[in-house]
Amino acid sequence: MKTGIFICHCGHNIKHTIDVKKVSEYFKKFPSVTVSEDYPFVCSEPGQDMIRDSIEKQGLDRVIIASCTPSLHGEMFKDLLKKSGLNPFLLRRVSIREHCSWVGDDVEANTEKAKRLILAGLYSAAHYVPLEEKLVDVTKSALIIGGGVSGLSAAAFLSKMGMQVYLVEKEAELGGHVRTLKNIWPARKEGKSIVDEMVNELSGRKNVEIFTSTTISAFEGFFGNYQVTLNTPEGEKKLTAGGVIASIGFSPFDPGIKPELNYGKDERIITTLDFEKNGDAIKLPGKPRIAILHCVGSRDEQIGKPYCSRVCCINALRVAEAVKDKYKDSYVESFYMDVRAHPRGGEEYFEDTQEKGVLFTRANVAEISPTPAGIVIRGEDTLFSETFEREFDLVVLSIGMSPPIDNKLIASLLKITLDKDKFFLEAHIKLRPFDTAVKGIFIAGSCSGPKDVEESINHGRASAVKLFGFLNLGYAYVDPFISYVDPKRCSGCRMCEQACVAKAIKYDETKRVVHVEEAACMGCGLCNATCPSSAIGLKGYIDCMIDDEISAFLEAI
Amino acid sequence: MGEAKKKDGVEIVGFACSFCTFKASEMAGSLRMKYPEGVKLVQVPCSSRVDPAFVIKAIFEGADGVFVAGCHPGDCHFIKGNYYTRRKIAALKEMFDAFSMKEKLRLFWVSAAEARRFVEKVTDMHNELKERKNEREKA
Ligand SMILES: Cc1cc2nc3c(=O)[nH]c(=O)nc-3n(C[C@H](O)[C@H](O)[C@H](O)COP(=O)(O)OP(=O)(O)OC[C@H]3O[C@@H](n4cnc5c(N)ncnc54)[C@H](O)[C@@H]3O)c2cc1C
Ligand code: SF4
Ligand code: SF4
Ligand code: SF4
Repeated sequence: MKTGIFICHCGHNIKHTIDVKKVSEYFKKFPSVTVSEDYPFVCSEPGQDMIRDSIEKQGLDRVIIASCTPSLHGEMFKDLLKKSGLNPFLLRRVSIREHCSWVGDDVEANTEKAKRLILAGLYSAAHYVPLEEKLVDVTKSALIIGGGVSGLSAAAFLSKMGMQVYLVEKEAELGGHVRTLKNIWPARKEGKSIVDEMVNELSGRKNVEIFTSTTISAFEGFFGNYQVTLNTPEGEKKLTAGGVIASIGFSPFDPGIKPELNYGKDERIITTLDFEKNGDAIKLPGKPRIAILHCVGSRDEQIGKPYCSRVCCINALRVAEAVKDKYKDSYVESFYMDVRAHPRGGEEYFEDTQEKGVLFTRANVAEISPTPAGIVIRGEDTLFSETFEREFDLVVLSIGMSPPIDNKLIASLLKITLDKDKFFLEAHIKLRPFDTAVKGIFIAGSCSGPKDVEESINHGRASAVKLFGFLNLGYAYVDPFISYVDPKRCSGCRMCEQACVAKAIKYDETKRVVHVEEAACMGCGLCNATCPSSAIGLKGYIDCMIDDEISAFLEAI
Repeated sequence: MGEAKKKDGVEIVGFACSFCTFKASEMAGSLRMKYPEGVKLVQVPCSSRVDPAFVIKAIFEGADGVFVAGCHPGDCHFIKGNYYTRRKIAALKEMFDAFSMKEKLRLFWVSAAEARRFVEKVTDMHNELKERKNEREKA
């Protein structure tokens, strides 16, 4: 066996807390190791050239790259092996960054741990065999769940590119929250007109099918061929989609959760959303006194919402501006923690609002209590460290964006994950913000965390571009990590058949052994762990590989 | 084999499902969270891939503890692999208990988003095992 071990410094990221020289020297003494090198950045072009050179010149038959975690640069390194004439499944990635250099400070301990991790990779890779990727057909169609601005923008892009689009919306009308908003900032347009424009773009396209008042009732299958069951007003409908974009938006925070705000107890305490809907109808005295509260349902650890909702400072400014424009002699006071006027132009908007005479008080509001004379706000001014008590005619709560109501339902149907705040989790916050951990399933808009209209539209389009890239090929390679049976060892006990959730194992009555139907096998490995005769193995994770990894962790070195 | 080890730290072998716990561990790394270096992971496609024989092997070869970690019940990428895991590990735990070493085996659920939970779980296990080890050495 001729193994090449390439240890990455990742600049300082790995080298800083692992003695990489010591590690590369250590592996030079192994008879099965032909090359053991450390290098500043193995993912760089010269780094890749070095690996390719070694494979070609030294005739390596195993490659171990000890660097960042395997879910990063995975395809790139596989391609590198292919280009060097080596089967890509003879590559083993060992994570010495996310699982070693970044999680411990002690150089000596980390160096020893890195040796063990690489040793496990070396032992395991010794059992590797060349594998062929499975080729599957991909249906050129996309399912988009949620017809808010993010879903609409995804649908517009995909349909323009000629993909079949199925757009599913739970409500009777498309457009989500934006449809109900007036004077959207910074466009200064009615939300309805923005949404109508987007819907018009879709109507008339033959490759778009829109289902309103519809929900998803079942979802099965794998990338390229998801089987979807819809619950439409006309009854059940089944369709096949190659990939999915989940864009089910957010739900407005319900201030009823915080009893001290007395929301719902008095009609003079309203939310920004109520103000959007009925702002014009509210009766106020000639010189109204109006309070606006920022961060209601955001940046609040106590109710499990530590995040900033990003749109509510601007919404608070919009309310303040609307009141000031209508009532020149009004007293408008905004209570904030700090003003985060996120989008471009937001800071200027904040300044303009101040110039219009809106008062900004940095405060912790403790209580809002309705009295016949007015609504009393008690709190602490955190700049002057003094308590205050003031009376208003109207209190507007600038509510934040909470996760969508159907987050759990959709997550469990699609088998995607929620983040700690219960929004959908992206595959990687910086490198893969549109993907989920499941191939072919993307997320768009505010269902993956608070976003304004512009961000939601961009997120939708970006996810659509990525999904298009997957679908347009018409085929896909899937990992060949599926199970196989050694008929000589199989006793025909059929325990694996019972265990297999995918029903991928079939019993042959005449031969009295089982076999695995490759197309159906999901690659979980349950059968492998179940078989009492060690007759069935999951490629890439067979018993001896895992056994030897365990030994590598524990044996004396 | 166990005696041959010259290291005196606590060694834990963890089996981590690719879709959840392994992802959480990646995120813990990205966030530069710290946990004891004795914790080492074997990546498996699903917690149901873990054969009880692996657990026993790890203990025989000197691991101070073993954990199996997968997706929360109901969240398994392979539909219900983790229910099988739960049953298997429960049976194994009884066996461990019979040999008075039930602290050596733990099963926990960590979703891909729960980097902090991952670190808390492994650190907690490490600390308990270390305490026991110290007690034994004193005795
Ligand atoms: C009071 C308020 C004022 C705002 N003002 C502004 C502003 O001035 N400027 C700005 O840029 N942004 C503003 N925003 C933010 C803006 O509303 C969001 O950015 C935008 O709505 C996000 O779009 P979306 O498509 O992600 O989600 P949504 O608008 O929430 O749309 C999601 C859609 O998915 C549907 N859906 C949900 N669950 C399912 C399911 N299970 N199956 C099928 N369909 C489902 C919903 O019915 C909805 O139609 C404001 C928000 C609030 C609360
Ligand atoms: S955008 Fe402003 S009001 Fe909203 S949570 Fe952030 S800081 Fe608070
Ligand atoms: S469990 Fe093993 S021996 Fe039994 S039928 Fe399946 S492969 Fe054959
Ligand atoms: S790996 Fe999982 S899906 Fe495939 S045959 Fe075995 S039990 Fe069934």
